Amino acid sequence: MPPGSCFERKGDNVAEDKSKYIIVGASAAGMAAAHTIRQHDGRGSVTVLSEEPDTPYYRPLIPFVVSGKKRAQDMALSGCGPFTGRDIFVRTGARVESVNTAEKTVSVQGAGGLAYEKILFATGSRPYIPPEIKGTHAKGVFALRSLADARNMVKRVETSDHAVMLGGGLLNLKAAFALLERGLNVTLVVYSPEVLSRLMDPEDAVLIRKALDRAGLKIKTGCAATHIISDRTGVTGVALDPGGEISCQMVCIGKGVRPNAEFLDGSDVRIEKGIVTDRYTACSAPDTYAAGDVAVTFKPGSGDRIMTALWTNAVEMGRCAGRNMAGVKTAYSGTLGILNATQVAQEPFVSMGVVHTTDQDFEVYRHATETTYRKVVFDSQGTRLIGAVFIGDITNAGLYRYVMRGKMPVTHIKRYIIDHTLHYGHVMCGKT
Amino acid sequence: MLNPKEIFVRTDRCVGCLSCTIACSVEHSKSKTLFDAIWETPVPKSRVYVQWVEPDGKVPLVCRHCEEAPCMYACISGAINRDENGVVITDTDKCIGCWTCVMVCPYGVIGRHLEEHKAYRCDRCPDREIPACVNACPTGALVYDTVDAFSGKVRKHASRELLRAERG
Repeated sequence: MPPGSCFERKGDNVAEDKSKYIIVGASAAGMAAAHTIRQHDGRGSVTVLSEEPDTPYYRPLIPFVVSGKKRAQDMALSGCGPFTGRDIFVRTGARVESVNTAEKTVSVQGAGGLAYEKILFATGSRPYIPPEIKGTHAKGVFALRSLADARNMVKRVETSDHAVMLGGGLLNLKAAFALLERGLNVTLVVYSPEVLSRLMDPEDAVLIRKALDRAGLKIKTGCAATHIISDRTGVTGVALDPGGEISCQMVCIGKGVRPNAEFLDGSDVRIEKGIVTDRYTACSAPDTYAAGDVAVTFKPGSGDRIMTALWTNAVEMGRCAGRNMAGVKTAYSGTLGILNATQVAQEPFVSMGVVHTTDQDFEVYRHATETTYRKVVFDSQGTRLIGAVFIGDITNAGLYRYVMRGKMPVTHIKRYIIDHTLHYGHVMCGKT
Repeated sequence: MLNPKEIFVRTDRCVGCLSCTIACSVEHSKSKTLFDAIWETPVPKSRVYVQWVEPDGKVPLVCRHCEEAPCMYACISGAINRDENGVVITDTDKCIGCWTCVMVCPYGVIGRHLEEHKAYRCDRCPDREIPACVNACPTGALVYDTVDAFSGKVRKHASRELLRAERG
């Protein structure tokens, strides 16, 4: 086998009935764990069970499938960066129905049981479809999560000229741009007063909002969908609160995600919305671990419990879980709840740490120009950097994250932070 | 991976002449000559940065090609890989310009190519025996050597200083 290759098997082709390591879920956390286990244990069998029909892929790229800029085969995980281990068995189309932690077996739908010595739950999350929106089962209603969803959206695009996006989060914005690139009219319906409300306060989003408007995205804020209107052909429109209706042929719901932890119902693995993990990524049952979107972890500073749905965090936690599973005891450093970088409508931005400052007792510095905006947030004593939003100019963002995550005392570098002139030279020359 | 060479920085030697940044830009230009490079569009970009620290410190910064490279693990498009020489490479075809690497690199040495909407960084000059920045440095502030050889020299220097101090 060349480096980076995986064996890929269909769920119904059960060749083995046991594996030293079983990993449930073949996305960021699961695959990062699998490849990390390989670095520390060259021999123990590693089997990854994936519910999806596709072999592992870079999920964040699916909006590019919608826009037509990338093909599925360009998105393969295997052989890239962190995913270059050998002899990892990936079984696609293998849905895990339940886990017996006493007997150490998993039950795969339609394929019987499989025994493990150590198991990782990396089942990720799924889109949240608010129950108060009626008619979401209609044809043409999407929540972009998988490659399969992206392919289905592409098909629907052909018979659509207007799409309505429900939710103003990052994923929905990316989906909206993919559809704009396909030539559709796109209207974004946001309940919050401004887009990206999870990543910044409304007044921080001014430049991004302008860029979105310029790019031709129609945005309705302070507005919720009550039901999706459809007929034989599928979606025909969306009814709004407070009143009004938008006619459309496609709806895309981006209202956050929920962890896929139901398969553990009735097991002795502790669930609090997601799967609860300790500092070493282990769950409450023996030899069970969890990582990624499904895992409940903690913030590095406060230790508060959080769940995040970020690729980068999932890879990091998956790698940590992989080490622990392979016997290299490694504490997980926890994660900032908000840690996003991207570019929408030619506007790059980064949002990290504590970014919501309205009516809060923080020391906050803002600076705006025609083309840039920044907000840096210190704790109430002004001694630690706890959050930052950079729009337009994201220079050295990684260093600010480093300062934040390391809870570094900032007295000596504070003015550089406020002026956004901090660079690694300050750290190297002991200016901290 | 056979004990590859790395670019080391000796901040005490840097005078801030920026020869490294010019050499790097030229090496990463289409023409590879200074006089043509300055007329190219987009303007060729340097992958090495020299920062100034009050009162008179100069700090050349260049990609460390970290062992646990945060950029490689954070990349959401599979564009960042490590080659057989240990060099962390950004594949511009795969890069989608999401800037996640910029957000996680503590050194701030991943640049954003705005015209191409791609991230760029030190590639250790694959076509050269000695990277252009090191070759251009007139004061020996940039050193291209193996970890063993470089740390050996640092130890030797420190020992000499110790002896000198002991002897008064």
